[in-house]
Amino acid sequence: MSLPAFQLLRPRTLEESVTLLEKHAGKLQVLAGGTDLIPSLRQHLFAPEYVLDIRGIEELRGIRVRDGMGVEIGALTSLSIVEDSEFIRCNYPVLHEAVAGVASPVIRNMATLGGNICLDTRCLWYNQSLTWRKSCGFCIKSPARANVPSAGPEPPDGDICHVAPGGTKCWAAFSGDTPPALLCLNAELEFAGPTGFRRLPLKDFYTGEGDRHIKIGRDEMLVRVRLPETSAGYRGAYRKLRVRGSIDYPLAGVAVALKLRDGEGTVEDARVAITAVNPAPMLVEAAAHALIGRRADEHTATVVGELAAGVARPLTTSALTPEYRREMVRVFAKRAVLAAGA
Amino acid sequence: MSDFSIIGKPIALVDAANKTTGGGKYTDDLSLPGGLVGKILHSPYPHARIRRIDTARALALNGVVAVVTGKDAPTPYGILPIGHDENALATDKVRYVGDNVACVVAVSEAIAETALGLIDVDYELLPAWFDPEESMKAERDFIHEKRPHNIEKEYHHVFGDPEKALEEADYVAEGRYLANEVTHAAMEPHSTLAAFEMDPQTGKPARLTVWSSTQVPYYLQHKLSLVLDMPMASIRVIKPLVGGGFGGKSEVIPVEIIAAIAARAAKAPVKITYTREEVFWAHRGRPRTIIDLKTGVKNDGRIVAVRARVVQDGGGYCSYGPVTILYSGALLGALYDIPNVGYDGYRVLTNKPACGAMRGHGTVNVRFAFESQLDEIAAKLGLDPAEIRRRNLLKPPCITVNGLRVLSYGLPECIEQVTQRSRWRQRKGKLERGHGLGIACSHYVSGAANSIIRSDMPHSTVNIKVDRDGGVVVYTGAAEIGQGSDTMTAQIAAEVLGCKLSRVKVVAADTDLTPIDLGSYSSRVTLMAGNATLHAAEEVRKQIISAAARVMNCAPDEVVMRDDAVFRRAANVGAGPTGRRDSGRVDGQILRGSLQQKRKEEGPKDWLSFEEAVVAAIDFHGALTGTGSYAPPQDARGGNFKGAGVGPSPAYSYSAQVAEVSVDEETGEVTVHKIWAAHDCGRALNPMAVEGQVIGSVWMGLGQALQEEMVWKDGLIMNPGLLEYRTPSATESPEIEAIIVESVDPEGPFGAKEAGEGSLAATIPAIANAIYDAAGIRLREAPFTPERVLAAVRAQKGQKKLRLAREVDPTEPDAFADHGGALWFKGKGPLRHHADFARGPKVDAGGDD
Repeated sequence: MSLPAFQLLRPRTLEESVTLLEKHAGKLQVLAGGTDLIPSLRQHLFAPEYVLDIRGIEELRGIRVRDGMGVEIGALTSLSIVEDSEFIRCNYPVLHEAVAGVASPVIRNMATLGGNICLDTRCLWYNQSLTWRKSCGFCIKSPARANVPSAGPEPPDGDICHVAPGGTKCWAAFSGDTPPALLCLNAELEFAGPTGFRRLPLKDFYTGEGDRHIKIGRDEMLVRVRLPETSAGYRGAYRKLRVRGSIDYPLAGVAVALKLRDGEGTVEDARVAITAVNPAPMLVEAAAHALIGRRADEHTATVVGELAAGVARPLTTSALTPEYRREMVRVFAKRAVLAAGA
Repeated sequence: MSDFSIIGKPIALVDAANKTTGGGKYTDDLSLPGGLVGKILHSPYPHARIRRIDTARALALNGVVAVVTGKDAPTPYGILPIGHDENALATDKVRYVGDNVACVVAVSEAIAETALGLIDVDYELLPAWFDPEESMKAERDFIHEKRPHNIEKEYHHVFGDPEKALEEADYVAEGRYLANEVTHAAMEPHSTLAAFEMDPQTGKPARLTVWSSTQVPYYLQHKLSLVLDMPMASIRVIKPLVGGGFGGKSEVIPVEIIAAIAARAAKAPVKITYTREEVFWAHRGRPRTIIDLKTGVKNDGRIVAVRARVVQDGGGYCSYGPVTILYSGALLGALYDIPNVGYDGYRVLTNKPACGAMRGHGTVNVRFAFESQLDEIAAKLGLDPAEIRRRNLLKPPCITVNGLRVLSYGLPECIEQVTQRSRWRQRKGKLERGHGLGIACSHYVSGAANSIIRSDMPHSTVNIKVDRDGGVVVYTGAAEIGQGSDTMTAQIAAEVLGCKLSRVKVVAADTDLTPIDLGSYSSRVTLMAGNATLHAAEEVRKQIISAAARVMNCAPDEVVMRDDAVFRRAANVGAGPTGRRDSGRVDGQILRGSLQQKRKEEGPKDWLSFEEAVVAAIDFHGALTGTGSYAPPQDARGGNFKGAGVGPSPAYSYSAQVAEVSVDEETGEVTVHKIWAAHDCGRALNPMAVEGQVIGSVWMGLGQALQEEMVWKDGLIMNPGLLEYRTPSATESPEIEAIIVESVDPEGPFGAKEAGEGSLAATIPAIANAIYDAAGIRLREAPFTPERVLAAVRAQKGQKKLRLAREVDPTEPDAFADHGGALWFKGKGPLRHHADFARGPKVDAGGDD
């Protein structure tokens, strides 16, 4: 289908961008890489009056190391730049692995880290053409509920969730690969808005609701991701369930970051996070307790697998059965712990 | 004759440069002045009667030029003469979600799409049928009134006495196999551009030209004539470059007719290109198939009988359905020497997009079942799976029990090649746990010996024109769809005429210019259009030789055409560079008059350049043209029973494959490490193209084996896009070693048979058998997705049972399972069909949302 009509805004500076955001709040969507937004616009999932193309804002690109303060990654930095960064690979290996697993090389050249963090949740019953959604009677994930601007002539008005019939919550799955890795690294987000800059730990960014999945003001935009220096040097691994070796969104994903105590081989600190099985990427809080003070061996890894699977709530939002995807969270969490500890 | 100069050499396809540099034009790249855009309104319901369509609001929209509906072309059509059950736009009923209801013609795509939302359709919803075995039990609300119990066609074939043979067998294996639905996923979506030329006398639309992404220009011309009620001669179909067909473009697709109807109504050129979702709705892919299979063997592994009941979920229209179900039966027992065969085939209608022909048409799913079961039998009897196949080979020349004539049979060598190269004997059953090898075989027709339209017409005709410029122009109706048909044609013409390949220009698939050819399907082009080219070129060759013999003052049988020259046999082969320099000609130019005269005056020569020979022949004969055609021989056209017309072919290709896989028993993921694929193509006219076709077939089989599957929920396709319909990516594509076996068939041009389809069917069972070797699990439902594999592993180990695979045990599958979730909840949801219990008592579902 053709793109809905919208006015394209192309700011050159962050100030200009923030002014436009404030002016058109509620009627605008931000375009960074466009790899998710453009297909969604073509499916007429929403029809904004304005699209704010931020690709011209150079200051939002790049990886900057701040001595003693960790590293800042501009929201507009392409995933392949992050993937190719030797600094990231050496200091934050879990992020490197997660980034390298996103989609395909061609898409990683376009897609941005900020876009992957803000990525809309996905559901087989939602990410379809207008005709298809009409045929299934639409669903409760609607732009109106999500405060996403819609100027389209036919705002979908479904009031049923097809994956959890009778429920009133949207279970569309968050399907980004990098957020679980960033959660493991205690990442912090920085937003720009009319009142200046605001920071928020990544773990507080997601709501857990499929149709209103992130906490971001209508006049705000994500500008930077900060990885604290205290997270540098953690061993890491990311395991992703996909049917096809490339292109696919994760059907389940597990990220693990471990710090081993020098000489002893026991875990000093650990974080485990999962993605693609819930409406938000989630830290598996109990996993840290299971790991700290122990060796990352088969037994511990199996325990972590059980804990991770216990948090996963996969539904029929995606290909493969929910039961299988939950099982894979278990297996992949175990494998990621073993890989990170090895 | 085996000393060839053009054929047998690996050469780049003649149209490769244009395609790889982006210079080539596909249908959607074409535009005409004043051209408009067409967009189609599709049914949101799987089964409904159309009470009324109101297009007034759409027509009133600024920028809309015309809106057409079924009333504008009510004549039904279908690819088979017995299956004229489709309307390009629905006249009374819609039969699947995505069925075609109306078409808007507008000045832009966006306006056309907006207008679609302004068409008011009043539907009366009907109960819908989604599962083939449920559909067969229907007593009312048939999808087509003429097809009681929704059975499109059923065939019951008995050859020999299978029941008695099964009783006398030492061992009988029995099982149900399911193959889920797959689609072609050609890179280029269907696209058609249609334009009328106005009659200079009346000012009304008269001649029609259609550019379309099709495998069958001639059938398209025929169906357009039928539906538009125009003489065939007033319709010209041109096939631009085609970005893959795989059977999906081997019949007339609604868009092709809708574009023409729309252009007639709009009085302007109209182009319609399908979205990917529309391609999934147009479909015509491989149907979901249930195969209940019984094979009886003697203790030594000799097969005494096979009995199959096959049910195909054909979707809402006939399409190629009866042919598919007949191929499934005809090819079931014809790969090996099986004396007793019983076959019950049911082609069933359901409220889903129509299935049709897809690479390996009809044979693939049944071959998966048979080759899997043969592997089970080998395991049971303690025989080597390669050996059990060797013990059941045909002994050609022969006629199979169901009347198929087999002259060449490279299967024994194919088996030999793949077992040797994979080091089968040393490695089979001896790999580490989780790793395995599997073998399977397949075969396919080199074109159908009987055309869809019963007649004695030639299946292919080719004209060749050679002129004083030294250029050879071949006019063929054969449709190049990426498989290399133009290259094959050029090679055969150049080989026969002994000229350089670069002299040959191929004008193909333009019904005004090229003689009738049935099209590119059933792997018929190399054998049939190849033979027609051969005959046409031989006719031209004869004329050149007789003229050259006069010039050289020798007998015609002393004249040799080769290496771009014509010379006496006794002369130095190829005339040599010295001679050429003496002629004073510039390569590729006609000799100047004075030089020609000088050469003439010098008296008899023992060689001529190609141009000189051509000029001599034209001077002598007045013109230099040749025509050749091909019709399959009478004794290859099969038996006399009902349905005997499908299956017979002038020649059959054969394949054997070994797959090496590993199975992750914790995740169920299967990795294919390597596939050895030997294919008997008779003779490889272009080994590079043959290898490409074999690799492509194996790759497509790999997709169906491991990950491709159309997922349904109450007739709604859950994955109508290439993101969720997962053809393999480069990452999981294994090394494929293509091995060419040449059996030199007496019927094929230079002995050539098909190469484009036959390999596919062996891949799926080879992988299934390798998974069995690796993990001891027998998967009887394809594709072998990780969840199905894991469910089988869990069941085998007696581990905790999980509903991993949509409630169907992939080792003992019973029926197809839908995607989870629900379209309905307590009456909420789409107005789909009022028979649904969830909707409560009688709901009037009138109106479009």
